[in-house]
Amino acid sequence: MLWVLVLGPLLLAILVYLAGRRCGRAALTLGASLGMLATLLLALVAVMGDWQGAYRWSETLVLSLELSSAGRLFAVMVPLVALPIIAYAGVHDLPRRDDHHRTTAGGARLLALLVAFVGAMQLLVLANDLLTLLIAWELIGACSWALISQRWGEVAVARDAAHAFLTTRFGDLGLYIAAAAVFAGTGSFGYTDLAALDGGLKHVAVAGIVLAAAAKSAQLPFSAWLFAAMSGPIPVSALLHAATLVAAGLYLLARLQPALATVAWFAPVVIATGLATALAGGVVGALQGHAKKLLAASTSAQYGLMWLAVGVGFPGVALVHFVAHSFLKAGLFLATGIAERQTGSYTLADMRLGRRLPGIAIATAVMALALAGLAPMGFAWSKEQVVAAAGQQGAWLALLVALTGGLSALYATRFQWLAYGRATRRESSGLPDAPSPSTVERVTLMALAAATLLLSLLWWPAAQAWLTGALALSLPQSHPWQLVVSLILVVLGIAAGVMLARRPEQAVRGWQALAANWFGLPVLAQGIATRVNALGHALARIDDAVVDAGLRATARLARWLARHHAREGESLAEELPRSLSRLVDEGGRWARQAQSGQTHHYYTGIAAGLVIILLMLVIGVAL
Amino acid sequence: MILTTALAVPLLGAVALAGSTRWSDARARQVAVIAAVLSLLALVVAWVGFEPAGPLFQHVDELRWVPSLGVAYRVGVDGIALSVATMSALLFVAAIVYPMDTRGESRQYYAWLLFLQAVSLGVFLALDLLLFYVFFDLTLVGMYFLIGRWGHGAPQASALKFFLYTFAGSLLLLLAIIGLYLSLDPHTFDMRVLIEQQPMAGKGLYAGLVFLALMLGLAIKTPLVPLHTWLPQAHVDAPGPASAILAGVLLKMGTYGMIRLPLAMLQETFARYALTVAVIALVAILYGALVALGQRNLKRRIAYTSINHMGYTVLGIAVAAAAFTDDSLVRQLALTGATVEMVAHGLITGALFLICGSFWQRTGEYDLDHYGGLASQAPLLTGFTALAAFASLGMPGLAGFVAEFQVFAGTFAIYPWLAVLGVVGILITAAVFLDMLRRLFFGRLPVHLGQFVELTRREWSVLGVLSLGIVVIGVAPRFLLTLIEASAGLLVGGH
Repeated sequence: MLWVLVLGPLLLAILVYLAGRRCGRAALTLGASLGMLATLLLALVAVMGDWQGAYRWSETLVLSLELSSAGRLFAVMVPLVALPIIAYAGVHDLPRRDDHHRTTAGGARLLALLVAFVGAMQLLVLANDLLTLLIAWELIGACSWALISQRWGEVAVARDAAHAFLTTRFGDLGLYIAAAAVFAGTGSFGYTDLAALDGGLKHVAVAGIVLAAAAKSAQLPFSAWLFAAMSGPIPVSALLHAATLVAAGLYLLARLQPALATVAWFAPVVIATGLATALAGGVVGALQGHAKKLLAASTSAQYGLMWLAVGVGFPGVALVHFVAHSFLKAGLFLATGIAERQTGSYTLADMRLGRRLPGIAIATAVMALALAGLAPMGFAWSKEQVVAAAGQQGAWLALLVALTGGLSALYATRFQWLAYGRATRRESSGLPDAPSPSTVERVTLMALAAATLLLSLLWWPAAQAWLTGALALSLPQSHPWQLVVSLILVVLGIAAGVMLARRPEQAVRGWQALAANWFGLPVLAQGIATRVNALGHALARIDDAVVDAGLRATARLARWLARHHAREGESLAEELPRSLSRLVDEGGRWARQAQSGQTHHYYTGIAAGLVIILLMLVIGVAL
Repeated sequence: MILTTALAVPLLGAVALAGSTRWSDARARQVAVIAAVLSLLALVVAWVGFEPAGPLFQHVDELRWVPSLGVAYRVGVDGIALSVATMSALLFVAAIVYPMDTRGESRQYYAWLLFLQAVSLGVFLALDLLLFYVFFDLTLVGMYFLIGRWGHGAPQASALKFFLYTFAGSLLLLLAIIGLYLSLDPHTFDMRVLIEQQPMAGKGLYAGLVFLALMLGLAIKTPLVPLHTWLPQAHVDAPGPASAILAGVLLKMGTYGMIRLPLAMLQETFARYALTVAVIALVAILYGALVALGQRNLKRRIAYTSINHMGYTVLGIAVAAAAFTDDSLVRQLALTGATVEMVAHGLITGALFLICGSFWQRTGEYDLDHYGGLASQAPLLTGFTALAAFASLGMPGLAGFVAEFQVFAGTFAIYPWLAVLGVVGILITAAVFLDMLRRLFFGRLPVHLGQFVELTRREWSVLGVLSLGIVVIGVAPRFLLTLIEASAGLLVGGH
């Protein structure tokens, strides 16, 4: 029964793609959105109940689905966030063909892929064994490749899509190994078998899972692929960051945390990775001048915080932070898309659209302030929970987390100031003319802003009680000083953000430019790719020149032998019988000479013969 | 009789085509298609009638031939042979239907294809060692003429290289077969008896030599690194459909032979050398993938990925042969994976080589740098190529994943390090295919490709059928896995 949640969107995707040729653009968008709404309702029904699903491939391979508590949350969140994004995409990104209101094949493909992406993600969050998980894990990677390379006509796009796909697939290898390790230990692939594993195999399995999660969640050292993924259209980025690809890594850790945490090194590694990514991502975001890349760095950083929460043993806190993050991050990406339509680029320095689009600017401000971690936004509450969770490990960790909160306040402010700040009238008039955003774009953005605002309820104790009950999560003990320090750092961050935003663009140079570009990680990835490619070419040359040489040498040897034999061998073969016959000839002539016709010759011969016979007899008797 | 029908129909078709000089090109094609489809249908009937819980070999036909030598006409299948044979028959239908410039010699072309189909199926269906060897060698003859007469570039040289190299392998195989034959008393070529008796058990050096000769002969055919250099050249100069058959069917004879002969008949000896074979397979996986990455020629690139994929198959077979674990579940998984890899690779690479043929028919060029931006010009071609490419790089939901996952899971349980290293192969293959897709279809369309024609109806229907097979195996492989698992279980757990 649970398969409906997975197959529904996949079927819908096929329908959307096929309908793309016949339906108008509006009808297509409406159909896709309604289908997504149906998926959402279905998911709501499913999480209330106790559905399950299993599908047998063979004796050993069974795909099984089950609703876990993390799975329930994600199964609802994914279509919920995807719904406004798909509606937005239908208007914002579907190019209109010249003749009618129909869209191009590319537009239908975009919508269909977005819907299919949701289906694959549902499979991922419902999976109850590592084989099913691996299938979904790879499928969302493939979906993201297809979505990022949506505009395949541009030269750089294919390279970026391949970069994103190959980086995340490198992580997928970890999952292959983990699944194999669980199988080696227990003979099947279930999550429960993972928990039952022990010894070296458990270490291998956990390491594989952490690697896979780190690559998908864009944690260090894999963060750079999110920059490459920015070549995709805006709705793709929104979906990737808010609810699907990047979220998958976190989901996996949160889902399997009880089993993973039994390995001693799990907590330190996850905390260190998350913290490092959060700090580094904050710095990248603070210095980055490209609107989408700023948000991408922020995504890495925020997922870093969620990792940290899982690491210190509070996966529930990570899930709440994820929910708050997905609404605001989706909204900020959609707002960036609107800004890009106005200015024609993603360069933050060219935007300042507050005067032209005041309504959108306010909605964006709500989400930016939430990202900044300013109370009473819900996102601020969940961030405080992360601080408190870190405090369980030690005050130093709580302080570091609060510091990342300050960094996030910095880049959020800078983003808002540059993208939707109020420019002077003169500056505004310098903007190119562009059509104002459509109703759908406005409405979806407002809806996400409203959801962000609504989460402010989280500060209300009754809501907290309901939440902990509904999600069965435990909250860390919070200390007042943590809140105070956090708020001070947020205010400082906002102030620094305003200062940085007013700085001219050219000031980002030297180490700052390097830091803004993920401290050179993309270059490193590029370098590895180039090396491997060069190795391939070198091996190809060796293959032609050396490996094949053995064969060619054999062939040459055979030809040489043939020639040699044709000459020397043949003449030898000819000469032997010829000399033999000459010898016989010679012998015959010599024998004929004995036939002289003179009697004394014959007598001599007979006498000699008798002597020889006598001698032989004597020797024979004597012996 | 059903297997004999599957063999005889294409053979009769070939004879008929060779004999009748008055048939037009279209008629010759029709006859060939009908014969190939009938043969496929016969195998489908055999599949439906196959009882997974039954004995290892089913549908057995036996006919006295040379009783004094222990030779007889014996055919029969287990699940492994049946699945590979059915895939081969499907691929032959695809190759025959696929449009191809036969240079006015359609009759001869289709006759050779049908002949090749009959003898190829013979390899998979034979239960008599000598019969197996005869069919094994006759496939070389068929392929030699297909490459030599309808190839391009330097077809004669490539065909000769292909023939001589693989024929050398066949000779080693013959020596080994005679060795096996002499080891039994009374002498017989009956495979079932050989599997039953395990004549080489405890024979030390003699067994080792027979094993070496068998593996060398089969490794050339598979091909394993470093015995692979005949393959790229033969592929590049062969016509598209012949390439599809070469990669899809002929290469399988090497790995199928490894399962049928050393794995089944020399279990003890194979177990002793399983690790060596597995390491060589790992080298083939990584080397094939890396060298593929270094190719600028479309067809050479795909040819090298074949080496990579056959490496997975051999890895699975080696793991299945390793007997130092009592866990036959693991070995069964690996062997099932290896067999699925054969079927999957046949369909996937068959489709890719047919696509190569389409490229050649349109432009006469394999250089990747010649292409670009074709996604707008030929969306169907793009779609089918992307599907086959993703299947080849092991994307779940498509056939390759089902195979590779099982091979890795089985390998890890026995040789963990080989699995960890081998899994890197799928990352490199991903790079190979993404790069290929980028160069063919992405970016701007060059001016000289303005007249590039989209797939014709016949082309896309053939590719559609192969793609359907790839998707069905990827999504619902149960029908295939049940068939293979039963036989794999008997093979690894039987003795």
